[in-house]
Amino acid sequence: MARWSDSRTIPLVPRKVLVIDDHPGFRRTARRLLEGDGLEVVGEAGDAASGLAAARMLEPDIALVDIYLPDSDGFELTSRLAALAKPPAVILTSSREQSEFEDLVERSFARGFVPKHELSGDALEDLLK
Amino acid sequence: MTGRRWTLVAVALAGGIAGGLTLGIALGTDTSWGPGRGFNAVVGPLVGWAFIGTGLFARVRRPENRVGLLMIAVGFTWCASALIVADQPGLFVFGYLTIGLPYAILYHLLLAFPDGSLHSQMERALVATGYFSAVVLKTLETLFADTGASPRGLPDNPLLVGTDGGVLADVAGFRPELGVLLALGVVALLAVRWRAAVGAQRRALTPVLVSGGFVTALLALFLAAGVTGISGIRDQLEVARIAVLAMIPFAYLGGLLHSRVVGAAGVNRLVARLGRHGRPVDVRDELATALGDPALTLLFWLPQRELFVGAAGRPAELPAAHSDRTASVIEHDGQPVAAIVHDRSLVDQRELVQAAGAAVSLVLENERLDAELRATVEEVQASRARIVASEGAARRRLERDLHDGAQQRLVSAALSLRMLTGTLNGDPESRRELDSARKDLDDALRELRELARGIHPAVLSDQGLRAALNGLANRAPIPVELTGGPTERYPENVETAAYFVVAESLTNVAKHAAATHACVRINRAPEKVIVEVSDDGIGGADAASGSGLRGLADRVSALDGHLEVDSVPGRGTTVRAMIPCGS
Repeated sequence: MARWSDSRTIPLVPRKVLVIDDHPGFRRTARRLLEGDGLEVVGEAGDAASGLAAARMLEPDIALVDIYLPDSDGFELTSRLAALAKPPAVILTSSREQSEFEDLVERSFARGFVPKHELSGDALEDLLK
Repeated sequence: MTGRRWTLVAVALAGGIAGGLTLGIALGTDTSWGPGRGFNAVVGPLVGWAFIGTGLFARVRRPENRVGLLMIAVGFTWCASALIVADQPGLFVFGYLTIGLPYAILYHLLLAFPDGSLHSQMERALVATGYFSAVVLKTLETLFADTGASPRGLPDNPLLVGTDGGVLADVAGFRPELGVLLALGVVALLAVRWRAAVGAQRRALTPVLVSGGFVTALLALFLAAGVTGISGIRDQLEVARIAVLAMIPFAYLGGLLHSRVVGAAGVNRLVARLGRHGRPVDVRDELATALGDPALTLLFWLPQRELFVGAAGRPAELPAAHSDRTASVIEHDGQPVAAIVHDRSLVDQRELVQAAGAAVSLVLENERLDAELRATVEEVQASRARIVASEGAARRRLERDLHDGAQQRLVSAALSLRMLTGTLNGDPESRRELDSARKDLDDALRELRELARGIHPAVLSDQGLRAALNGLANRAPIPVELTGGPTERYPENVETAAYFVVAESLTNVAKHAAATHACVRINRAPEKVIVEVSDDGIGGADAASGSGLRGLADRVSALDGHLEVDSVPGRGTTVRAMIPCGS
């Protein structure tokens, strides 16, 4: 994997993102937004089980994981993703604020949290620094 | 006279004739075997008459109780079996054939005493085996019994079909052994029942069970003596057995009389105790003493709901038809007031139970009203708890709908605007408009989040009270110290109530108290959770006037808890909620 000294420059090989969220509307918007910001959205999943399967197959660099999932929750999925052979960097997201989850985000394997309405390629890159 | 009475008179006449015939035949024969015709002649009809007469009396007294019928049946079959002493082969073989029947019916009678029904599989199995042995096996045996060839000089057997009955006769030949086991089984069951009985139950059971147990034990010995070949004492055993058997009807009558006298004395004492002034009586205890059944319980009738409830007001069922307990319903002015649930042995003393019930019916009416009130309170509490629970569920649903619906759409709209901003170049006017729209949208999102949290804090259901309270403390405009935050999860209703107590109290602190500091304490006490919010503000809050505190008090009391507000002007405010919570 390439390393970047400045995250604001668009890398030659765009980072691969997997979006895991049960709202199709959000997945669609996130895809357009992140691709507009120079990232490559390699896949989408609507629940934790298919998200884990997609991560295993697609080996994304980043997994954008909604904290509320129909079959599990984002913290649980984060642990499972971290145990993969090639674990993606997990960024948790929610339409709620991080403070509502107490210290669960810090205590998880996730790289960070971004509120849904503040999602952008830069926001993800900032969290990966 | 009714048809029923005619039947009884006919049975009495038939009984008289049957006994007379037995007597006549016994006197008119010259039998050299057995205990002798003299004994049989005197005791035979006496046993028959005693059983038939007492059975008729029991039948008149309790037409629905099978005990009377069984006694009559013992009497008649006894008379029939006594024909075995006859010289005439036809009469002899009739007696020979029915010799076991009175005992099979006696077992049935003893095991069904006093209420006339069998109550366990074991009892039913023993009774069925008794009838099978006395009817089926005895008939088989008779068909192959060459009585004329017996060394005892018995009459010929007109029913004889052959001397070699093969396997069937061999099986029937085990009748004495089976009889020993059967009799021992009956004695054991009677002993168990007698031991288990206390007070009035034992009083009612003892005469019949003891005399019946003796007869059965003597029969077991008699049969065992025959099986083992010790025939020397058989005659004495038979005499003893028949003598005790003759006593059973009198034991029944004596026991009845004794129970009535003792029972009437108990009821008299009960009435005297109720008459004493100035001391509340425990009606249940008094009835239990008077009727001699320590396990006696009372159920009260609720006419509106048409059901019985216990003293605590909880709905209760009357005992099932074949259980050891049974109920006597006590009425007052034609209306059911209560049911006395007592041992089934007291069924035979229904007048006594009714007399005791009548004696306490006025007091019972009071207790019934108490129980009715408690039942109503219980129902109101239950319905209030249901309302709270359904309100909670509705709030959770609403929060979820907001989150999944409007919030998601607004998030998507905000993200679209963000993308649009990226594609706009130049035009500062449009950019300003877009920025303003984005800001409005962000504000709308924030307000919606707060609204959803006010309806139901998702963090509460997801992560529990501690996390939710931390969130409240962090968002509060003044420093809030949180102590004793629970690490365990409480029931949903308890967590929600505790959360809203803290949320509403902190809102009040921020709005009215002018405080610099607030403290939230959650303490787990046995059976309850204590939530306390105190501040160092101006005090003077009043639970009665503020609708917020009033609503909190209602919410807490719907869970059977209560809310205290301690707010002296100038000395801060403490809101304390005690919320019941089983451990």
